[in-house]
Amino acid sequence: MDAIVEEIRRAYATVGITLDAPAAYGTYYRLLCAGCGRMVGNVGDHLLPGMAAELVAEQFELYASGLLGCPCGHQSQTTRQLDTPRWQAARQRFDA
Amino acid sequence: MADGSGLSGEMRVIEDAERRGRGGRWPFWRPAYAHGDPLPKLTCQVSRPAYRFDEGEPLPDEYKELLIKMLRHEGERAGNKSFLGLMATCLDIAEALFPTAEAKLLKAEYLAEELKHAIMFHRIAVGLQHDFALRDVPYAHYAFHLPRETWADDAYFHFFVDLNGAFHARDWRESSYIPLAKMSATVERDELGHSEMGYHFLHEIVSDRRGRELARRLLLKWYPAALDMFGRSDSRNAPKFIQWGLKSVGNAEIRQAYKTYVDRKLVALGFEPPDERANRRFL
Repeated sequence: MDAIVEEIRRAYATVGITLDAPAAYGTYYRLLCAGCGRMVGNVGDHLLPGMAAELVAEQFELYASGLLGCPCGHQSQTTRQLDTPRWQAARQRFDA
Repeated sequence: MADGSGLSGEMRVIEDAERRGRGGRWPFWRPAYAHGDPLPKLTCQVSRPAYRFDEGEPLPDEYKELLIKMLRHEGERAGNKSFLGLMATCLDIAEALFPTAEAKLLKAEYLAEELKHAIMFHRIAVGLQHDFALRDVPYAHYAFHLPRETWADDAYFHFFVDLNGAFHARDWRESSYIPLAKMSATVERDELGHSEMGYHFLHEIVSDRRGRELARRLLLKWYPAALDMFGRSDSRNAPKFIQWGLKSVGNAEIRQAYKTYVDRKLVALGFEPPDERANRRFL
């Protein structure tokens, strides 16, 4: 599972989310805002190979618009730095 | 000790505690069953022997192996650390992402009911093989590991994943393993209620435009996982499960019945069900 956990860690790092230490007997991990440390969700370590990056990439617009991510706005700002035109389009689309 | 009601003393205490917890929206299964059986009957279409095995009776090797395999997948056992870990994630979500105090309390009721199942399945495990009772079996399917980053993710988790449990429990009504058949109605009812809880949250989420957009996007993540949970349609083990009376129908049949059910509910939410083959991993 180490390789999958590493994949998950890398995928979430791109949008400003940190994978916490394993919680509750190892299988699951909390997702923390890399900006303020607040818990923003959780994930398990039995995702299929490649799935974490795919899921995070598909959620780009949701982070950009603030529909996903921390109320502090860190993920939205991170996605803005990644791709400003796409960030702007997402904000307009979702009325953010 | 049984007291003539068919329930042990311990289970009567749990039943009583449950009864006192009923009120308001909980339990969600109540309105769902008020007008009859909400789940489709799963009828075996092949001729097979009518096996019946009770706790303590010698079991054929293959039967026992398949039964334990099935219960490993089911996972809700008090002695399964990974199940407790999954429940802990639900607690974390309830604490961190809850939208209202009522939603938080509903999640607490959900957790209590899942822990009741853990006791019930623990008893089955002990009756089957002592060392199985304390075996840690991480959930193997990716649907149990998908990220939950919003209350809408969690609502889909309950709507889809608990409903999968309800469909399997529906099938156990006819199980050849008597202890499983006996508890199937309770587990089916409760799991259907958990799914209805998720559906209730989805209803609230889609009531505003941004919530609807969020739910529409997240459906693309959860729908294929939900259909994948029934396994491959050409599973080599499915005919063995059916022959031994541990299941009534194959993976494709139960998936289709489930899909018909969830599609109707999604349409009622105002969503078009996604393409059933898109993003699927186990066809």
